[in-house]
Amino acid sequence: MLSGSDTLSVTGDRRARLTRDAIGVLVILALGIAGYFLFPNNLALLTRITAIALLVLSLDLVTGYCGVATLGHAALFGAGAYGAAIAAAHFGIADPIAMLAVGIIAGSIAGLVSGVVVLRAHGLPQLVLSIAIIHLAHEAANKASGWTGGSDGLAGIMPDAVFGLWQFDLWGRTAYVFGIVLLIVVFVLLRQIVRSPFGMLCRGIRQDPVRIRAMGGSVHGTLVRMYIISGAVAGAGGALNAISTQVVGLDSLSFTLSAEAMVMLVLGGTGSLYGALIGTLAFLWFEDVVSAANPFHWLTIVGALLIAVVLFAPKGLYGSLASYFEHRGRKNP
Amino acid sequence: MQTVFSIGVDAFAYGMVLFVISIGLSVTMGLMRVVNLAHGAFAMIGGYIASYAARDLGLAYAVAVMLAIAGTILIAIPVERLLYRRIYGQSELTQVLMTIGITFCIIGIANYVFGPTLKTIPAPDALRQPISLGFRTVSAHRLFVIACGTAVALGLWYFIERTAFGVKMRAAVDNAAMAAALGVRTEVVYAVSFAVAVGLAAFGGVVGAELLPIEPYYALRYMVTFLVVVSVGGAGSIPGALAACLLLGAIDTTGRYLMPEFGEFFFYLAVIAIVWLFPRGLAGRAE
Amino acid sequence: MKKLAIAALAAALLGGVAHADIIKVGVVGPFSGPFALQGKNFKAGIDAYMALNGNSVGGDTIEIIYRDVPTADPAQSKALSQELVVKEGVQYLAGFYFTPDAMAATPLLEQANVPMVVMNAATSAIVTKSPYVVRTSFTTWQTSTPIAKVAFDGGTKKVISVVSDYGPGVDAEAAFKTGFEAAGGEIVEAIRIPLQTNDFSPIMQRIKDSGAEGVFAFLPSGPTTLGFVKAFNENGLKEGGIKFFAPGDLTQESDLPALGEAALGLTTTFHYAVSHDSAENKKFVEAAAKAIGNPAELSFPAVGAYDGMHVIYKMIDATGGEQDAAKAVDAVKGLAWESPRGPVTIDAESRHITQNIYLREVARADDGTYYNKEIQTFENQGDPGLAVVK
Repeated sequence: MLSGSDTLSVTGDRRARLTRDAIGVLVILALGIAGYFLFPNNLALLTRITAIALLVLSLDLVTGYCGVATLGHAALFGAGAYGAAIAAAHFGIADPIAMLAVGIIAGSIAGLVSGVVVLRAHGLPQLVLSIAIIHLAHEAANKASGWTGGSDGLAGIMPDAVFGLWQFDLWGRTAYVFGIVLLIVVFVLLRQIVRSPFGMLCRGIRQDPVRIRAMGGSVHGTLVRMYIISGAVAGAGGALNAISTQVVGLDSLSFTLSAEAMVMLVLGGTGSLYGALIGTLAFLWFEDVVSAANPFHWLTIVGALLIAVVLFAPKGLYGSLASYFEHRGRKNP
Repeated sequence: MQTVFSIGVDAFAYGMVLFVISIGLSVTMGLMRVVNLAHGAFAMIGGYIASYAARDLGLAYAVAVMLAIAGTILIAIPVERLLYRRIYGQSELTQVLMTIGITFCIIGIANYVFGPTLKTIPAPDALRQPISLGFRTVSAHRLFVIACGTAVALGLWYFIERTAFGVKMRAAVDNAAMAAALGVRTEVVYAVSFAVAVGLAAFGGVVGAELLPIEPYYALRYMVTFLVVVSVGGAGSIPGALAACLLLGAIDTTGRYLMPEFGEFFFYLAVIAIVWLFPRGLAGRAE
Repeated sequence: MKKLAIAALAAALLGGVAHADIIKVGVVGPFSGPFALQGKNFKAGIDAYMALNGNSVGGDTIEIIYRDVPTADPAQSKALSQELVVKEGVQYLAGFYFTPDAMAATPLLEQANVPMVVMNAATSAIVTKSPYVVRTSFTTWQTSTPIAKVAFDGGTKKVISVVSDYGPGVDAEAAFKTGFEAAGGEIVEAIRIPLQTNDFSPIMQRIKDSGAEGVFAFLPSGPTTLGFVKAFNENGLKEGGIKFFAPGDLTQESDLPALGEAALGLTTTFHYAVSHDSAENKKFVEAAAKAIGNPAELSFPAVGAYDGMHVIYKMIDATGGEQDAAKAVDAVKGLAWESPRGPVTIDAESRHITQNIYLREVARADDGTYYNKEIQTFENQGDPGLAVVK
C-alpha cells in the first residue's frame, strides 16, 4: 500500500550498509556546514527546517515503517515544544540540554497516548482518530492558557548558553549548530533502530500483520513501542523549535502542521529516512522561495508542485530517484 | 422540556446540513476509494458559481443552483481526466498529496479571481421567512435543507442500490479487472461516479452556504469536518453517513448548548468513542 | 564567535552612516490563507501612504519588503523577522496582524537596533515587551470599554457576554465586564465558545434562556461573525428586542456586503469607520481604494498601516536615515497628527496610540450598500488594558 524502498537496506552486506550510513552522515554534515557558510543570513530558516525535519523523520517511523496513517503527528511535536517551553518559562530549567530532555520525555508520553488511541483502527477511521487527537491537544493547550499562554503563545523562554559556552545569538548560529548536531545524532540512532530486529519486525507488520501475529509477534505492543520512539524524536524537534525561536504557539499543535509534515514525507518518499529529510528540505525551501517571491499567491504554485510530484515522481523525490538508479544499475551491471 | 425540543430541532437541522455537504465525499471515498481532500474545493466552486449567478447576474435561486452543479461538473471533468485518473488505485498517501495540491491551487485561483471577501447566495424570500413550529421559530432555509438532505439520501440510495448503473459501479469498485472482463466500461463508470460526487459537492456547497459561508479558504477550513463525518459513518454507506451526521450533529449542538466552553472537546471525544466502538465506522463493511 | 558578532555589528553600524540610501522596511502579515483580506489591507494602507507622500524621505528611498505569515505562527514570524533583519537589512519591522507573531519578534529588536511598528495586533501587553515597540492600531480593551458605557446608559442592565475562546476574545470579555460592572450593570453569564463553531443556534438558545436584555459579542471577523449575526436574526433574538453590543471588528466594512440586512442596526464601538467624515479620510479612502482594487474590501487594518507608515516616515526623518532605534522611537513619543480616523497621539509613556473611539450603527446608504454610521465620539481614549497588564 505504501511506497517504499525496502530493498535498499535488505540488499548488501553489513559492511556496505555501514559505509552507506557513514556516507549519509557525511552528506548531512557537509550540507550543514555548507548551509552555515553559504547562507549565513538564513540560519533561522535552516534551523526551522532542521526542527521540522525531526518531526517528519518521526512521522516516517510510524507511517513509512509501520504503515500507520496519521494526520495528527504534530501532537508529539507540540508536546515536546510545550514541555521544553514550560520547563523554561515556569520552572526555570533554562539549560538547553535539560530542555531538550524534557521535550523528549514529553514527546514520548504524547507518543504513547497517541499510539494507544490511533492503533485502535485502520485506514480512514485511523486517520480520523489522529485528527481528533490533534484537535483535542490543540484545544487543551488553548484552555490551559495559564501554563501555555493560550493563543497568545508562550514567550519568555530564555535558554542559557550551550554547555555554558555558546550563547544563543541574533544570527541564530548557535541554534543552527545545536540543531544540526541534534539531527545527526538522531539520524545515526534511527539508522540503528530501523535496521535492528525490532525495526525489521515493524516493516514486517506493515507488510503482513497477520503473518507476524501467526509467528508469535505482538503487533500492537511493537507498534506502540515504535510510537514512543517516534514521540521522542518529534519531541526533540519540538524542543529544538522552542529553544531556537524562544516562543511556542498553538500552531505547533495544529492540524495544519500535521498535514504539512505528511505532505513533506510523501513528497520525499515514505519508508526511508533520507526521503523524510529530502522531502522536508525540498518543501520548506520551495515554500520559502515562492512565498518571498510572491507573498500573495504562492499557495497556487506549491499546489502545482505537489501535483507535479504525484504525476512525475509517484514514489516521492527520494523513492523515485532511488528506483531510477536501481533500475539503471540492473540494466548495466 | 421546551429546551430539549428546541435543541432537538437545531441538532437535526445541523446534522442534515452536514449530510448534504459531506455525502459527495462518501461517494468518492467509499465507492471510488479515493481520499478526496479536494471535496471542499469543489463545494466552494459550486458556491462561487451560484453566488455569481444569483447576486451579480440576478438569476433565480433554482437556476443558480442548477448552474452551480452543471458548472462545477464541467470544471471537474478535465480535472478528473488529467489528474484523478492517475491516482485511482494508488496508495492513500499519494491521493492525499495530489488532492491537497489540487485544493491549494483552487484556493489560490479563487482568491485571485473572486477576492478574499465572503460571498453570499441570496435565497428567495420564501426561504428567508422564520417559520413557527409552535414552541419556537426556525428559519425556512433550515427546513429546505432538511428536505434537500432527505431527497439526496433517498435518490442516492436508489441510484446505487436499484439502478443498473449502480450495480456496475459497485462491481467496478470491488474488482475492476473482473468488471472490465464482463464488459463494464470501468473508465466511464468512474467518470460518471466522479461527476455525481462533484455535483453533490456543489449542491451541498450552495445549499449549506448559509451555515458555511463561501470564501477562498472554505476548501481547507471545513475539510476536517467533512472527512470526520464521512469516516465515522463508514465511507460509502449512505445510511451510515446519515447516522453519523445526525449523531455528531446532535452531540455538537447539545455540547455547545450545555457547555460551550468545552464544545470542541465534546465533539472530538465523541469521535474517538465512536471509532473506538466501531473501528470500521458506523456502517463499515469488513474488508 | 563573539568576535564575528562584533565585526558584523560594526559593519552594520558603518553601513547605516552612508546617505541617499535605500531604507528597507520589513512588513510581516497574513498575505495568504484565511486572513489574506487583512494582509491585503495592510498593503493597501502602505501603498496609499506612499502614493500620497512619495517614496522617499530626505533623499533616502523607502523600500517595502513583505513576508507572509498566513495564520498566527510565532516561530515562523520570528524566523522571517530575523531573516528580514540579518539578510535583507531592514531598518524597521512593521505589520504584525496577530499578537503571538508580534510577541515572538520583540526579543530581536534591541539586539538588532530595529524599531517595530505594530499595525494591528491588539493585545495590550505587546508594547511592554520591548521599548522599541510603537503601535498605531488599537487594543481590544480600548475599543471594547466604551461600549460598556453605551450599553448601560442605553438602559440595558443585564448582559450576557459571548466571545470566541482565544486571546482577543478573552480580552474583550474582561474589558466589557470591567466597564459594565463599574457602571453598575450585571453580567448574567459569560460564555466562551470554540473558535471553530459553524452552527450558532444552540448559543442563541442559551442567550434566550439566560434572560439577559442584551448580548456582548466578540468573534473573529469573516465566516464566524457572519454565522453569529445571521443566527441572531434567524432565531428571533433581534425581533425579541435583545440588544447587540460589540467592538467594531464584528462589523468591519469588508464583511458588511455579506452581512447585509442582518447587520442593520447593530451598534459597535471602534476607532475607525471607512465612512468617517473628514477631508483627511476622503483623501485616504480614495488612495487606498485605488491601491486595493475593490473598494468594498477596504477595512480597518489599512488605516493602522497608513498611520504606521506615517510614524516610520517621521522616524526616518528624525534619524536622518541612520539606523538608531532608540532615537527613532524617542522622536515619535508624543507625536500628534490628524489621521484619517481623527486626531491621534502616540502616548509618550506607553508608545500606544491615543485616539477617538466612535459609537457606530450599521446603516443603509442611498445606493443600497451598508456602512458604519458614526453617532457618538469618545475623545482621546488611551488603552485601559495597560493598567491590567502592569
